[in-house]
Amino acid sequence: MSEGEIVAGYLAPHPPHLVYGENPPQNEPKSRGGWEQLRWAYERARASLEELKPDVLLVHSPHWITEQGHHFLGVKQLSGKSVDPIFPNLFRYTFDLDVDVELAEACCEEAIALGLDGKMMRNPKFRVDYGTITTLHMMRPQWDIPVVGISANNSPYYLKMEEGLEEMDRLGKSTRRAIEKTGRRAVLLASNTLCHYHFREEPEIPEDMTKEHPETYEGYLWDMRMIELLRKGEVKEVFRLLPQFIEESFAEVKSGAFTWMFAAMDYPEMPGELHGYGTVIGTGNAVMEWNLIKAGLAGSGLTAIA
Amino acid sequence: MAIVSAFLIPASALPCMKPDNPPWGRLADAMETAGAALAESKPDTIVVYSTGWFAVLDQLWQMRPHLQGIHVDHNWHEFGDLPFDIRIDTELTQAAIDSANEKGIKSKGVDYDQFPIDTGTIVASHFLNPNNRLPLLNTSNNLYHDWEITRDIGALVAEQAERLRRKISVVAVGGLSGSFFRHGIDISEDRISSVEDDTWNKKILALIEAGDSEALLAECPDYAAAAKVDMGFKHMAFVQGALGKQLSGGKVHAYEPVYGAGAAVVEFSI
Ligand SMILES: [Fe+2]
Repeated sequence: MSEGEIVAGYLAPHPPHLVYGENPPQNEPKSRGGWEQLRWAYERARASLEELKPDVLLVHSPHWITEQGHHFLGVKQLSGKSVDPIFPNLFRYTFDLDVDVELAEACCEEAIALGLDGKMMRNPKFRVDYGTITTLHMMRPQWDIPVVGISANNSPYYLKMEEGLEEMDRLGKSTRRAIEKTGRRAVLLASNTLCHYHFREEPEIPEDMTKEHPETYEGYLWDMRMIELLRKGEVKEVFRLLPQFIEESFAEVKSGAFTWMFAAMDYPEMPGELHGYGTVIGTGNAVMEWNLIKAGLAGSGLTAIA
Repeated sequence: MAIVSAFLIPASALPCMKPDNPPWGRLADAMETAGAALAESKPDTIVVYSTGWFAVLDQLWQMRPHLQGIHVDHNWHEFGDLPFDIRIDTELTQAAIDSANEKGIKSKGVDYDQFPIDTGTIVASHFLNPNNRLPLLNTSNNLYHDWEITRDIGALVAEQAERLRRKISVVAVGGLSGSFFRHGIDISEDRISSVEDDTWNKKILALIEAGDSEALLAECPDYAAAAKVDMGFKHMAFVQGALGKQLSGGKVHAYEPVYGAGAAVVEFSI
């Protein structure tokens, strides 16, 4: 088996509004559109993912919360109906997904090897969380690429933030090792919103875009500052600022997916490609891509040298 | 008065799923005892406030008349499934929603197939309402609501029950000290994760047993902060609001650890 590699990472946030706005057949509620800037951003991300032709999508979601350990979906096929507990009016989605159990097991083993508590989720009746499903739908609505779903051990909330994020760094490194050992061409999806200040009331017509705007100016400024740095490839500076960004903009990246993804990619100092930015019920969301093939950091040539 | 009994029980899935582990088994036994006391108090409806049901925008209230299914806990999936079969007292619930909205606590009913029911509500229904004998009023924990708003929600539910001549049992679902073990433990040796937390839990439970409501309520804010109490101990605020002046102590049927966090089964005196 040739050595596997991560071919790209995406910041792929999961507001269920985006699925609602798109009106796919899997989602029960129907809309008159909305959040087009973000949905068009995802269209561009879908096109680039199509070109990458990965074997597997790995997604880390803040809405599968596990207090004890980092858990990995470990049932070959999972299906059901996912209803968002906060926005049940917008998201009631029938899903059916295939899990790359072999890679998930490798991720779990490598996490344990790096001193983390890893656990496989083997219960076939388990209902996959709406964050995982929304991100996967927005990236690949065909559902034809196997996935590895990873839970959010709420360590950054429970421990001191830096300690919690250090665990996510280790989780990322262990995920990379698992991908390399199992020979997969993998794409990572960090299912995170940026600034997470949100409206306290939902507009009467949720998709009425005359009501959509950033909830706070400070949060918006923070998002723009971080996106600018990411677009310039100033990754070190982004991670230096990350705790302050999280603190001051209530950023959902606190839950760790963003750190996990960058650690797995070895913090490449390369410009991220912004596919688009938009707010959803006031929160800041960016769809961004780090294509390691285009950057010459992954690809067949490199694998041969390795 | 509308209230015929009131209880505080933990939200954890562990006593329900793994009662063969002695500390969790003792919690399960205590919840069965509470269930028997509840049945004896002959309520028409069981009011369940669960800290495990998170709301973020409006205060959410379950309005689906009949909920049936299988729940798998997000963290404890290895221990099996939690089947549930719950009926809802939609008349009382609608009255509470209307009353909350009138009082400026923005509220909404949810009536959706497959809406995710939280573990705490299922645990409450399993132990305190075996065989789905009685209908529930089931409401959420809005993460932005403080002690006062939660207390007001408890009070307005009791008011509406009184108005509709419903006899209710109030069940507040939530834990005590909130520091759990993050790493795998030998579950038979489960214990409260720190002496300080244990001391605090015991102090609060002693105040409940002594019937000193004033002292109890005065200590709650310090307790919530010092022992990182599950959701700021807002489940107690709900009990306070519902019982009002009737809050006058109770009996602790069990106090045990659940993976390091504190859990108790309390039956309040009515
Ligand atoms: Fe989220």
